[in-house]
Amino acid sequence: MATDSRVIDGFGQVSQTAGTVFRYLLLFATLAGLIALTVLLLFVANDAIQPLTADPGWHLVFLLTLVVPTLSTVGYLLARARAALSVGVAALGLVVVSTMFAGGIAMILVDIIPPITWAGYVLTFAVPTVALLAARRAVDLPLLAWLPVAAVVYYASLLGIPGPLGSVVGLEQTVPSVAALFSSLSVLPADWLLLVVTFTLPVAAAVGSYVRPAGDRVAAAVGVGGVAVASAAALSSSTVGLTPVPATTLATLVVVPTSGYVCRTVLSRPRDRIGLALPAVVVGGSLLGAVLVRAFEFAGPQSWVDWQFLTSAHSRAAIDAGLYPAIGGSILLMVTVALFSFPLGVGAAVYLEEYAPNSRLARLIDVNISNLAGVPSVVYGLLGLGVFVRYFDQPSGTVLVGGATLALLILPIVIISSREALRSVPDDMRRASYGMGATRWQTVKNVVLPRSFSGILTGTILALGRAIGETAPLIMIGAPDVLFSLPTEFSAKVSAMPLQVFAWASLYATPEFYQRAVPAGVVVLVSVLLAMNSVAIVLRNRYQNEQ
Amino acid sequence: MDQSTDESPDPIDESVIETNVADAATSDTARGPADTIVEARNVDVFYDDVQALDDISMSIPEQRVTAMVGPSGCGKSTFLRCINRMNDRIDAARVEGELRLREKNVYDDDVDPVALRRRVGMVFQTPNPFPKSIYDNVAYGLEIQGIDGDYDQLVEESLRRAALWDEVSDQLHESGLDLSGGQQQRLCIARAIAPDPEIVLMDEPASALDPVATSKIEDLITDLAEEYTVIIVTHNMQQAARISDKTAVFLTGGELVEFGDTEQVFQNPGSDRVEDYITGKFG
Repeated sequence: MATDSRVIDGFGQVSQTAGTVFRYLLLFATLAGLIALTVLLLFVANDAIQPLTADPGWHLVFLLTLVVPTLSTVGYLLARARAALSVGVAALGLVVVSTMFAGGIAMILVDIIPPITWAGYVLTFAVPTVALLAARRAVDLPLLAWLPVAAVVYYASLLGIPGPLGSVVGLEQTVPSVAALFSSLSVLPADWLLLVVTFTLPVAAAVGSYVRPAGDRVAAAVGVGGVAVASAAALSSSTVGLTPVPATTLATLVVVPTSGYVCRTVLSRPRDRIGLALPAVVVGGSLLGAVLVRAFEFAGPQSWVDWQFLTSAHSRAAIDAGLYPAIGGSILLMVTVALFSFPLGVGAAVYLEEYAPNSRLARLIDVNISNLAGVPSVVYGLLGLGVFVRYFDQPSGTVLVGGATLALLILPIVIISSREALRSVPDDMRRASYGMGATRWQTVKNVVLPRSFSGILTGTILALGRAIGETAPLIMIGAPDVLFSLPTEFSAKVSAMPLQVFAWASLYATPEFYQRAVPAGVVVLVSVLLAMNSVAIVLRNRYQNEQ
Repeated sequence: MDQSTDESPDPIDESVIETNVADAATSDTARGPADTIVEARNVDVFYDDVQALDDISMSIPEQRVTAMVGPSGCGKSTFLRCINRMNDRIDAARVEGELRLREKNVYDDDVDPVALRRRVGMVFQTPNPFPKSIYDNVAYGLEIQGIDGDYDQLVEESLRRAALWDEVSDQLHESGLDLSGGQQQRLCIARAIAPDPEIVLMDEPASALDPVATSKIEDLITDLAEEYTVIIVTHNMQQAARISDKTAVFLTGGELVEFGDTEQVFQNPGSDRVEDYITGKFG
């Protein structure tokens, strides 16, 4: 063989030692932060929930009804039907996340914006919108002529005629605003009925349109069924110890979307429907476990994250303390932050990406927006104090001031991530649109924004996640450490979850607060954050599938 | 053309199609010398300090296919983009000279490039349908230009002219991105002609397509010239010879070296440089 030079034994070896070492160093770099944080959160969750204080029987029951069935379902799906598993995980996530959102919205509807006020707001915008659309059909006017008409109609609807403008010159209010007119009606429908009309109907319509590709009749059934379920939930709520308003909210936000997802999956992805066994097993197992535990009288863990913790305010005694006003405050702050930062941030991003000339000034703005994203949050707190509290003479520590300050804080992040999303729209699309004779506005509106919208939304939600965890700016603007009732309006004092947790860990730091209430608060805060981010993750996946 | 009458029970549709056929027939019989629709007079284009087009003068006839050929970087696509002022989107680009469309210089100060582009459709090198349904893609130009009319009928008509109707008539509301590359390009052509422009510019419309799809596009271009003025940039000599009535040869440096009837340019080129290029000695 050796004599035949055309035949060789092998090709030899090339050393890959350095490459392998490098690869595992990179893996370590990837996982280091993740592992550290996971370990910390496990300790925190252990302190907050104290699973080991439960009866062994309790553990055994849930092991048999929940853990074993869930694991075997997951194992089966992993081995047999991966695609079905992702459907199952999505459905389960939908149930969990929508329940959390429903809880937050129920909190708002019960304690902050009663359904009558909410319905008033909805009418305030629905009535002039419907009127204007009808008028546009009937009368043909150029767009510029419609703008003042629309402004007047919305003004009248929101503030009445002549409204605050009239009171400046001393005119009496002659026509009340739509909301005032509505609340002055002598006979008003029950709260839950108002909710069904103003809240369940739009949700059911949206879910129906999601189901529609699977069939028009199913979509209609889901929509009508959703409204029926929400009404039934209100009427039968007292039997499960709830009041009608939260029952309707839960039914609208949990039952309707989940059944929509299930219907669409069963009809349009018949091969993956087996995956729906996963949420069924988890929900069924939890319920069965709960019933059995009660029947056998096994004591559960002495968890600090319990109903009492979620629904009561701060107290001197750690055992009675709760997070309710802070949860509500954080939700209100997030709403305010979103209202401020979304239009401003997306507007700035669209301007910089689509309109700004490629000048030195634009580049200067560009660089400085990136710099702003790195400015410490305490500096933004100082800015909020200086501008809103001192200069505009607002009361310190209110929802409005806190929201505006946090909005300024995340504005650069919103701008940067929105620009990223806008930049990912291929220039081909813009060229095609301009080539058709579209104006810049038409191109932005019809081509660029629809294509980048989910990316923009993803970035904004992740930025909101940063705002919900901020403490320093709230301290700077004088938000109170703890509150004993929910803020009910934008000019009310607000506290927030991270602020209250911080107060428990510093001002009130008895061992019990420090070792039990703080971990419980962190668990709630992180759960809310994860729920928000999960929406962003779903949006991002959809966005990537579209590309 | 009326294979799919079962798809379109509306009698109005058919009458429209018949008139189209009739129009095409009359214009075919009367193909005398054509009027000039686009006239370039001493056009220079610069990208910053680099000259991309050097003193171009030519007259492009109406309702004919005019091909622009030449090696990469010779400025043929730049010239095409001058006609509908798509070069305006490039900050560094600067145009001198006159480019007249129906005797009106499109670079006059009072010309709105958006309004200009509504009369000059454009098809690009890579198919670029919007991520919308086939129907919405074709209707896009109608909507943004505020054209009144029966959109269902206009969309069908445009798809038929783009020789795509028979393939997509039952999936109008599915995404345009689900089509094959060749179908996407015909969709883009349907989109470009839907608002009924006077001129259709095509920038290497078949260069990203396979030979079968290319030949469909070529047949389509020949048909389109019965109603529209088609100006097409191509790399492909045989394609230019097959489909065009007039050919302009650009060579490196942005010079227009030869412009004339296609037959004459290919069989009897006026200069050695052009002959070398056409016969493939360089380029």
